[in-house]
Amino acid sequence: MKLRSYSVAGVMLFAALAAFFLFPYNLAFLTRIFIMIILVLSLDLVLGYAGIATLGQAAMYGAGAYAAGLFAIHVWADPFAGLVVGAVAGAALAAVSGVVLMRTTGLTLIMLTIAVAQIGAEIANRMREITGGADGLRGIRPSKILGIWDFDFIGVTGYWYACAVAAFVFGLLSVIGRSPFGLSLRGVHESPERMEAIGVSVFQRRLIAYVMGGGIAGIAGALSAQITQLVSLETFSFTLSAEALIMLILGGTGRLYGAALGTVVFMTVHHLAAANDPFNWLFVIGGLVLTVVFALPSGLVALPTSLKRLSKGDRHARS
Amino acid sequence: MKEFRMMTALAAVCTLGVTSAAADDIKVGVIAPFSGPFAQYGTQYQQAIEAYQALHGTTVGEHEISFIYKDVGGVNPDQSRALAQELLIRDRVDYLAGFTFTPNALAVGPVITQSETPTVIFNAATSAINKESPFYLRTSYTLPQVSIPAAQWAFEQGIRTVVTTVSDYGPGIDAEVSFKTAFEEQGGQVLDSIRMPLATTDFTPILQRVKDDAPDAVFTFLPGGPPTFSYTKTYNENGLRDAGIAFLGTAETEEVNLQGLGDMAIGLNTVYHYSPAHESEANRAFLTALTDLHPDAVANWASVGAYDGVHLIYEMVKATGSDGPAAIEAVSSLKWESPRGPLEMDPETRTVIQNVYIREVARDANSGLLQNVEKGVIATVGDLGWTQ
Repeated sequence: MKLRSYSVAGVMLFAALAAFFLFPYNLAFLTRIFIMIILVLSLDLVLGYAGIATLGQAAMYGAGAYAAGLFAIHVWADPFAGLVVGAVAGAALAAVSGVVLMRTTGLTLIMLTIAVAQIGAEIANRMREITGGADGLRGIRPSKILGIWDFDFIGVTGYWYACAVAAFVFGLLSVIGRSPFGLSLRGVHESPERMEAIGVSVFQRRLIAYVMGGGIAGIAGALSAQITQLVSLETFSFTLSAEALIMLILGGTGRLYGAALGTVVFMTVHHLAAANDPFNWLFVIGGLVLTVVFALPSGLVALPTSLKRLSKGDRHARS
Repeated sequence: MKEFRMMTALAAVCTLGVTSAAADDIKVGVIAPFSGPFAQYGTQYQQAIEAYQALHGTTVGEHEISFIYKDVGGVNPDQSRALAQELLIRDRVDYLAGFTFTPNALAVGPVITQSETPTVIFNAATSAINKESPFYLRTSYTLPQVSIPAAQWAFEQGIRTVVTTVSDYGPGIDAEVSFKTAFEEQGGQVLDSIRMPLATTDFTPILQRVKDDAPDAVFTFLPGGPPTFSYTKTYNENGLRDAGIAFLGTAETEEVNLQGLGDMAIGLNTVYHYSPAHESEANRAFLTALTDLHPDAVANWASVGAYDGVHLIYEMVKATGSDGPAAIEAVSSLKWESPRGPLEMDPETRTVIQNVYIREVARDANSGLLQNVEKGVIATVGDLGWTQ
């Protein structure tokens, strides 16, 4: 188990290194993949581990982005301080909304998570003097990382910075996932009644998971504010929440490398299809998602298992 | 090998703008929405670019000009910036163009300043964009540029009281504020300023409120598409037209959706900078080239923004090839005859100075189609929002 997880981490780091040298012209795009991976990982903690059905993860992403952007403009332009501010903002919004949201389940919960993101967008739209409204928050100029590396034009610094943050979040989540707390989350996911019966406060566990997920989504938002140097209302958009969910389902929920894999596959296919046919690429994306959902309900991470079963002649190739 | 590729990439960037100046191929990267609900913009740009190239060829001097299209989807500054970086680093484009939404245009500001790449905005209409980088040029318009003349014209027509109804987002608020300020300066009175939810298509309560206020005119700003359709319908059905409350808008009777509005659009007044019904040689040439290539194409402000934008790029290439700062300098006060009328670049705001026309929707006797008939030029102005 331990050996396997180390090798998975090794493979992913090697892939990041290889991508840097193989695609030196696409660093901006690769950096966006890292940011999305962080957002999808946060969703994996909330949805995949704790089973909290949400379509509003963008609320915390947007809060983190605006907080980090405003902090960089008005207080201090240090990138790491910005990440901390983003994480705190995301966690704070998750805590405030979570107190109400975590008491609900199912459709009610989904609707409320969407509503929180919509409210966030509307507040950012209304407070034009502070947030720039629909024009976006501009003027974010992060200073050098650790006082050494400047954010350069090709995006080399941005790439390694985002990669390091993504690796940190990944490591953190794998520790959390294996801790007693992580295991209790899985328990809450699978049978809240039984967890309640053995004396676990389900509400409290769900709230903590939601706040943690919110903090991580806030980090992703802060990172995007620093890399793009602009924050728009779209950081709160439903599309972003939904796309993150699609990436997670594509890769496979409840497994961290599934989240990473799903994001990489979705964004790469999106990028290639959109570059080759800027007019009709949505068909390709739609086809990909449909195929995976029908053929591999547990996501792309289940592909090897399914193939193995298929080769053995098992009729139920689905895992 | 890998290191070598990386080195070449770095070298390419370090010498960007120096090496490419000697190249014979000039590439222009167009960042615009080509998919999703805003795909119409990308299509309008592309058709206009092709029409320009059909009329003026694909070469300028020894330079061959080609366009690379990139889909940004919708409002997506992250994507916009990443695409700009990719275009500059991998495709090594010499010019950037397109940009429908303000955040997408703003996001590339730091990038184009660093790479010194002239960037022609075909649409994004927030005045402040051009302050973010000296390499922005704009061939569309800004909202104050049309709303302020609208206010002045309305006052001259004897309209003394107005209610403004705008969609509640950045451009709508810009339109409301500049109209209101200008109209009150003239001595008119704005009875009420209503901000409407962006996504609503039910305007009955809003227009009922306008009717109760009984102003001389209602000024409105709406994004194109379904809201415009139901707004005009409600304007007629709720009897505002019969009550003598004049309609005053900007892009609401935009050509792509105009035929869909039908008879209820007839007689609506708008203040704007381009109508395909403009009587001029340049406009006829543009429309002929456009419909020869794309029989179904309809020209609107987005098409003419792109058409004039390409003209600006051609002039920059003619003057300097691909030397960014020199190219901006070369066209900083360029004058030319556009399909919309005479145009001139303003060296300070880098937005075009243009005629603003008062138009009225009428049915063309020959084709039977609705069109925005220009009744006169009411102002020749640059970006009036620059100093606000």
